[in-house]
Amino acid sequence: MQLRDDPFLSIANKIPNKYIENNKRNIVGYYCTYIPEELLEAADLIPFRIRATGNEDTNKADTYMVRFTCSFVRSTLNLALDGVYDFLDGLFVCNSCDHSRRMFEIFDMVVFKREGFNKNVPRFYIAIPHILTEEGYQWFYGEISELKNNLEKVYNVKISDDKLNDTIKLYNRNRKLMREIYELRNLNHPKLTGTEALQLAIANSSVPKEIANRELERLLGIFREREGLNIDDKKRILLIGSVVDNAKFTELVESSGAIIVSDNLCFGKKTIMEDIDSNSSKSPLERIAKRLYYRNPSCPRSMDDHKRRLEFVKNQIKIANVDGVLLQRITNCDLHGCDNMLFEHELKELDVPVFNIDRENFQSDYTRFQTRIEAFLEMIR
Amino acid sequence: MTNRNVLSGETENKLIPYEMVLNSIGSTRELVERILPKGEIESLKIGAKAIEQIVRTSVEKAKQGLPVIGHHFAFQREYLYCFDCVPICIEGTSYLLSALLPDGVERFYDVMLSWGHPFHTCTSQKGVMGMTLEDLFSFDAIITPTAPCDNTFASYPFFEYKDVPLVIPDIPYLHEEKSYEYYGEQLRLSLEKLGKIIGQEPDFEKMKKHIEIENQVNSVQLELLELRKAKPSPVENMFNAISAGVAVFASGTPEKLDFYEKYLEIAKKRYKKKQEYGKEERIRSIWPYMLIFFDLSLCEYLDREIGMSVLFDIFNYNFSNTVNTKGDLDTLFFDMARRGMNFPMMKESTEFYYPFIENCVQLAKDFSADCFVFTSHLGCKQFGSVPQVLREALREEVGIPMLIIDLDVGDKRFTSTKIIKDKINMFSKTVL
Ligand code: SF4
Ligand code: SF4
Repeated sequence: MQLRDDPFLSIANKIPNKYIENNKRNIVGYYCTYIPEELLEAADLIPFRIRATGNEDTNKADTYMVRFTCSFVRSTLNLALDGVYDFLDGLFVCNSCDHSRRMFEIFDMVVFKREGFNKNVPRFYIAIPHILTEEGYQWFYGEISELKNNLEKVYNVKISDDKLNDTIKLYNRNRKLMREIYELRNLNHPKLTGTEALQLAIANSSVPKEIANRELERLLGIFREREGLNIDDKKRILLIGSVVDNAKFTELVESSGAIIVSDNLCFGKKTIMEDIDSNSSKSPLERIAKRLYYRNPSCPRSMDDHKRRLEFVKNQIKIANVDGVLLQRITNCDLHGCDNMLFEHELKELDVPVFNIDRENFQSDYTRFQTRIEAFLEMIR
Repeated sequence: MTNRNVLSGETENKLIPYEMVLNSIGSTRELVERILPKGEIESLKIGAKAIEQIVRTSVEKAKQGLPVIGHHFAFQREYLYCFDCVPICIEGTSYLLSALLPDGVERFYDVMLSWGHPFHTCTSQKGVMGMTLEDLFSFDAIITPTAPCDNTFASYPFFEYKDVPLVIPDIPYLHEEKSYEYYGEQLRLSLEKLGKIIGQEPDFEKMKKHIEIENQVNSVQLELLELRKAKPSPVENMFNAISAGVAVFASGTPEKLDFYEKYLEIAKKRYKKKQEYGKEERIRSIWPYMLIFFDLSLCEYLDREIGMSVLFDIFNYNFSNTVNTKGDLDTLFFDMARRGMNFPMMKESTEFYYPFIENCVQLAKDFSADCFVFTSHLGCKQFGSVPQVLREALREEVGIPMLIIDLDVGDKRFTSTKIIKDKINMFSKTVL
């Protein structure tokens, strides 16, 4: 039985959803998983991860972004120009990559200046170091502290340590539930498909966390009870690379004879692997900053952390008993393109079957794409 | 004090691309000196000489066994003079060779492409990466800041994969006082780290001397910029390209100062006589971003065939601060950081683009520009959403048009010179 029509999982197939539509709290959009969600939550905001689900062309956005920018970001801009993101009461951007960080200016100069759009949407930016050092951490902590002060001013709230501690608990619980479900993918007969796992991660980033936790508990029960999937004729794949926000993509991979048993994606394991330390004597804000800054696995934007990312990948290959690795990047994504280039060589040196492809965010030539993936899967013994 | 090749007992010098630069720049200089009459492309004559001298010294020093340090163009070469070393600019070498070699450096781009380096990643790094893969370069260490773009922090880990130690001073993508303090500290820590790798103590007194030369260069550059307000502009288009090369290859050396001083004299003479270069100046253009590097003859084409002055490109209007070398080390590094973060391309990349747009509008007015030409380089994603907004600002606030050309400034196969010329030609007809 596939759960893709489960009311919670199907949140992943569109942008607005019933849990945020009727909510009294302010909903704020963020582009990157390096934005401290716990802090936003403690300011009584609902963080919503911006994505491009369902967008099929970028005609409007193409006026403002040149053709060699990432089609994921262009698609989000297209949706914003169509008014899909008008429900946002705030926008959070950081310098995660060159494409997405410029959304700070383009939302300000174009999206929010659209005719007929009269809402004042506050925007926030944090500058994140590109290397992992003690000095870099201090800088990052400074940015997060400043963000806290700005949130208090702009949204007229008080973010107390108690509130932060509560949200840390809420988010740690959320990550734990996600990990428990994701671990069921490691089994010889996994309890969920890669597509279901992706839908879960997307839905989880689109609703208030207390609702997400309730739903994850429900689904954990269902997955545990469910019979393992029959995957005898399928290859166990680890999926790595650029953002995937569209279940059609994973469905395509899985309908080609694969099951995605693990990933290193930002709608996936990148955000759930580590918790915030609850026992430390440090302030809650410091603990939030520490987890995020030193997060493992990191994004390729962390220039000096490729080796740790490789270790993560090697570890996933082992624990999920992976047959092959699918490296993918959205065309023009330099960060994942280069990280994948190194992974390809490093994994081949370890005799791991690996396939490296580029794609567009909205894939129109399914057949050609599928043929290539099938050919790769055939090659795996 | 020795480089890896000497330490490992390898006698063959692994600086082949630099020798290629030396040979090609040497023959270019000889050729232009011999065939061009006085007054023609003077910038090329004196610029080629400056670069040739610097590269010759580098090759000799490497042969003596000094460590070879690769650096990003955005890491100021003069800072490396705190060591006895041979600094080699990664981006500068790729692009100078792409300009000088008849077949460009496409062969090395292809080497990297087939190794898996994405086609859309900047060719300025791809060239030297390909040469390194082919074992033509051997670096003892590489230093790069974490700017100006994704390409930088995506591509440079390749060198680490090739066992070259990488030193990375981090740059914040934010222009505030605290950013200069942070980056200043990063610079100091990085130079100390680099010193440990090559077995040398950084000599900051020595470095100051080279920084002082750059301080002097700065004021000559500003004078030259001022002269370009004149109609007709007394500066030839080729100067822009050559000065970018000299800036990268000869930074912090007397050769660079000499280049600018000599050219200032030439420009002043033309200015006094209201004399222009090439054909009558009919269109005054500003290129807020880069020129193309794979075919420098475009500069002459614009001057002579179209009568379009390129008043300046990004490397020629955007000068960072001077550095106070008389204060304590904290002041020195703070100023060095400010200089680094305001270096052409670094400034635009580590800052929101509002100041860039305001600056362009102001420059258009101050320099009586008739149009802008924006070279939208395949690698530079940080500028992917700027062109249209800039075009609208120029149209609304100054009433001038902007041509946007998608290209790869280092690879003629992406958009050829012919297509570029055709586009500019057609555009110039709408401007006149
Ligand atoms: S896929 Fe790459 S380019 Fe696109 S938003 Fe993600 S990191 Fe940026
Ligand atoms: S800023 Fe542009 S030209 Fe410079 S390295 Fe990056 S992509 Fe290349």
